[in-house]
Amino acid sequence: MHKAREQRPLKKDLITTFTLIKVDKNKADTDKSQLLLRLRDLLLEEDRRKIQSIDMEVTALAREFNNRKMLAIKIDPIVQEHLDKLKEDFPTLFGPVITQTIKYQIKNSQNEVVDALYPIVGKLIRKYIAREIEIISEKVDRQLARAFSWQGWLRKIKAWFSGTSETDIVLQGLAEPAIEEIFVIEQDSGMLYGSYSRSKNMDQDMIAGMLTAIKSFVADAFQKGEQEPESIEYESYHIVFKNFKTYFLAIAVSGTMTASFKDRLESTVLNFAEQLRRQAETSNGESEDMFSGYLEKYFNELDDGPK
Amino acid sequence: MMGLSKKVILLGHFGVGKTSLIQRFVHQKFSEKYLTTIGVKIDKKVITVEGRELSMLIWDIAGESTQQKVPESYKLGAHGAIYVFDLTRPSSYDLIEQEVSHLKNILPPIPFVLVGNKRDLLTEEEFNALQKKLPAYDYIFSSAKTGEGVEEMFFYLAKQMLQ
Repeated sequence: MHKAREQRPLKKDLITTFTLIKVDKNKADTDKSQLLLRLRDLLLEEDRRKIQSIDMEVTALAREFNNRKMLAIKIDPIVQEHLDKLKEDFPTLFGPVITQTIKYQIKNSQNEVVDALYPIVGKLIRKYIAREIEIISEKVDRQLARAFSWQGWLRKIKAWFSGTSETDIVLQGLAEPAIEEIFVIEQDSGMLYGSYSRSKNMDQDMIAGMLTAIKSFVADAFQKGEQEPESIEYESYHIVFKNFKTYFLAIAVSGTMTASFKDRLESTVLNFAEQLRRQAETSNGESEDMFSGYLEKYFNELDDGPK
Repeated sequence: MMGLSKKVILLGHFGVGKTSLIQRFVHQKFSEKYLTTIGVKIDKKVITVEGRELSMLIWDIAGESTQQKVPESYKLGAHGAIYVFDLTRPSSYDLIEQEVSHLKNILPPIPFVLVGNKRDLLTEEEFNALQKKLPAYDYIFSSAKTGEGVEEMFFYLAKQMLQ
């Protein structure tokens, strides 16, 4: 009994203690869970913000991507840049292929090509011939107008004495040789001493340099020692070289180089060289424009003389 | 032709940038494309040096692996010379002493400038290391791409030629 009486409060106490512990444990669990929540908030807050921002960006991109106008603003400059690059590189990238293709096409479809080109080429040729005939016709008119002039009688006498027909003499006159350009160039350096030109198309100094380089190249390439190239022919142009010790003359002549013109050119060049020698004796060797006046005087006389 | 004219020759191995240097100096242009020079090409630039107008006729001579292969006729009568090498290509400057000595033998005593080109392709460390390796001459370092040293080399030569 005593025992039982003694046991009762003990049991009650135990139940109370257990209840307290249980209550404490529940409270601790709640605290722990709150702490975990706070910890989670702390740890994941930045990630959440990033996810939110990415989500917004993706939405904006999707909007841009699905909107043609907005997409064009972004993509057009890139496409344009690539197009410009392609345009620039097109000849290099596709030139050889196109050439090959054209060659192949011409080879395999000659008739079609001829049919396609004939009207264009034909027109071009017709136009060119018409223009040339017009020029010749004007020249013939001028010659005929002089038929009873002093030059006309001179031509008739020349034809009678030489046995050449007057027509041939007239035609010869249509392609009269004329001096287009003259350069006085220092032999070694290619520096221009002086020049005379009817049409100043290019830089005279650079032409003088290139003429010297061509002359030197020919001399070097064929290793002919003291021998030098005497002339270069280009379509209806002749570039005649006259070599002297320290300089050379390069004379560009258009038209037909007749024997009499060559003779007169030779003699004018010699006279000019003599004048130049005298001039050089008094100059200080600097490549100043000291000869141009003489060039014009000498070679205009040659142009004006009988051909 | 007015004023004073001087012939300047540009020499050096192929592909060292001679044509690009001239393009930069004369036309203020640069192209990455490489077109080899055949024979010789002549350009002209009129500059004013110390109040004097000077017309520079620049002969861009095709590059060769050795200067002995360059036709001597192109070098005749030159008033100044520029020897260009590529800072990124050792084969273009390995034999620089022999090349300079050969040129000084065949050319009269004219102003001569040594130019190390393509400076833009080297880092500061690589450039410093290379400078220590190069034989003891006076150099001008240039980049036809950026324009560094280009005006300097031609104006330096022009001043020397006028002295």
